[in-house]
Amino acid sequence: MISDITLGQFYPVDSFIHKLDAEIKIILTLLFMVAIFFVQGYIGFTIIFIYILITVKASKIPFLFLIKGIKPILFFIVFTVILNMFMTDGEKAFTFIIWDVTYEGIFASVFMALRIIFLVIGSSLLTYTTSPIMLTDGIEKLLKPFVKIGVPAYELAMMMSIALRFIPTLIEETDKIIKAQKARGSDFETGGLIKRGKAIIPILVPLFVSAFRRADELAMAMEARCYNGGVSRTRLRESRPGVYDVYAVIIFALFMSLSIAIGYTNYEFKGF
Amino acid sequence: MNLEIKNLSHIYMPGTAFSTVAIKNINLTIHSGEFIGLIGHSGSGKSTLIQHLNGLLKGTEGEILIDGKNIFADKGMLKELRFKVGLVFQYPEAQLFEETVYADIAFGPKNMGLSDDEIDKRVKEAISLSGVKEELLDKSPFDLSGGQKRRVAIAGVLAMKPEILILDEPTAGLDPKGRRSILNSIKNLHKKTGMTVILVSHSMEDIANNVERIVVMNQGTVVMDGTVDEIFSNSNYLSGIGLGIPAVTKVFSKLSEAGYAVPKNIYTVESAVEIIKKLLEKEVNNDQ
Repeated sequence: MISDITLGQFYPVDSFIHKLDAEIKIILTLLFMVAIFFVQGYIGFTIIFIYILITVKASKIPFLFLIKGIKPILFFIVFTVILNMFMTDGEKAFTFIIWDVTYEGIFASVFMALRIIFLVIGSSLLTYTTSPIMLTDGIEKLLKPFVKIGVPAYELAMMMSIALRFIPTLIEETDKIIKAQKARGSDFETGGLIKRGKAIIPILVPLFVSAFRRADELAMAMEARCYNGGVSRTRLRESRPGVYDVYAVIIFALFMSLSIAIGYTNYEFKGF
Repeated sequence: MNLEIKNLSHIYMPGTAFSTVAIKNINLTIHSGEFIGLIGHSGSGKSTLIQHLNGLLKGTEGEILIDGKNIFADKGMLKELRFKVGLVFQYPEAQLFEETVYADIAFGPKNMGLSDDEIDKRVKEAISLSGVKEELLDKSPFDLSGGQKRRVAIAGVLAMKPEILILDEPTAGLDPKGRRSILNSIKNLHKKTGMTVILVSHSMEDIANNVERIVVMNQGTVVMDGTVDEIFSNSNYLSGIGLGIPAVTKVFSKLSEAGYAVPKNIYTVESAVEIIKKLLEKEVNNDQ
């Protein structure tokens, strides 16, 4: 069912990761994304894997829940794997019909797949453990120094938070419209590509209509409460990094430097 | 067509932090030709329950039987079922999408694979049953007023000629005139076609004025099931679970407490007026 879509949702439990400061979490997630691309060799990936296991465990989010988030990008992963497998030069391993597959290609594709999976799990951990409001606050704080050079930090943050806020609402709405059309005999499961494509129209049209209506209503409601952008707005809750965040940064730094360093020092392990 | 609900339970997103029990252990039998009112405060599981009746949701436990056959027995049956059990959602105007009112009402019959002539006949029938004016057929559904949109959406379901019609709060958000005329249409429809109708509503007046049998839900279970008189004689219990009785009925139970010889099972303003008139005449006669 469509409400099973988990990507980008907040998972409300109380955990170590949930308690961390949003700003720190965003920075760590960004660093994690960069770090993954510097990690080489299987030891490095094992360390990253252990790091992810520990983080997921600490976040109290069911592992299956995270795995489900990978499902929508499965096609992308498969595509990347195939591309890497056939496009990498090196020592020939075997021939698939007419294309040569190299050892380097196999390793490259496996590592690339792992990178994407880790990337998705790592970044979805951020949205699962950070409520949209905290996330936006974090982004706003991060962008604040750039306001001077014309980056619209408040507006970006507000746009982000509205978008995030409406993901569940629109999923719910879509679910309702799908059900209503199913109740009138719409069939989304059978038929060829064209028939299925056509079956989407009865969902998309009402969905757009309602999205525009919602945008309109929200704008009115914000105006009615005198919203005037970010200038001189203060916060109800100010979050500041605490002792937990220090731990998190230290643990993160240790794992990342270890996994990257190992890939560069033990060249003889690389790829085996 | 008899509909039987057996030990039906539904849990949303089981096994996660979002897990919620929407309905539990529901047993109900709906007979052919009945006019049933389904009441319960928000979140009591009414909407979840009715979505099981045409197989949009599958119970975590339990089953739905139509004339003794499980609706999930085979896939072909499920599609048939969607046409036999017509479901009008809350705010059904949100489902309108076609360029013209006609095309939108024809959407259901088209999915049934009917011929163009039959579709045309059904659209005409559906608009006369739901009270959509013929000149609106060529207009865009998005140009209509709220009440008209609602009627078009209801007609879209009626055009499938379901044997059971389920309406989830069909009058929500309409003005009193719109409410009355939609409810009258539904009542006439039931009378004319003998269709089984299940009406979900928050308004005790709407329910009392129309239905024959009332099913009361609270916290995901069916707590009462009986005739209008039976249900509304338990006004204390009803208000305890966030419901109530029609305002006129309340007036009459106060009158009866004050010592007047009036019946307690009065649900419509019209019959209330009659009785009060008689009562006044009697008083005037006694005074003379």
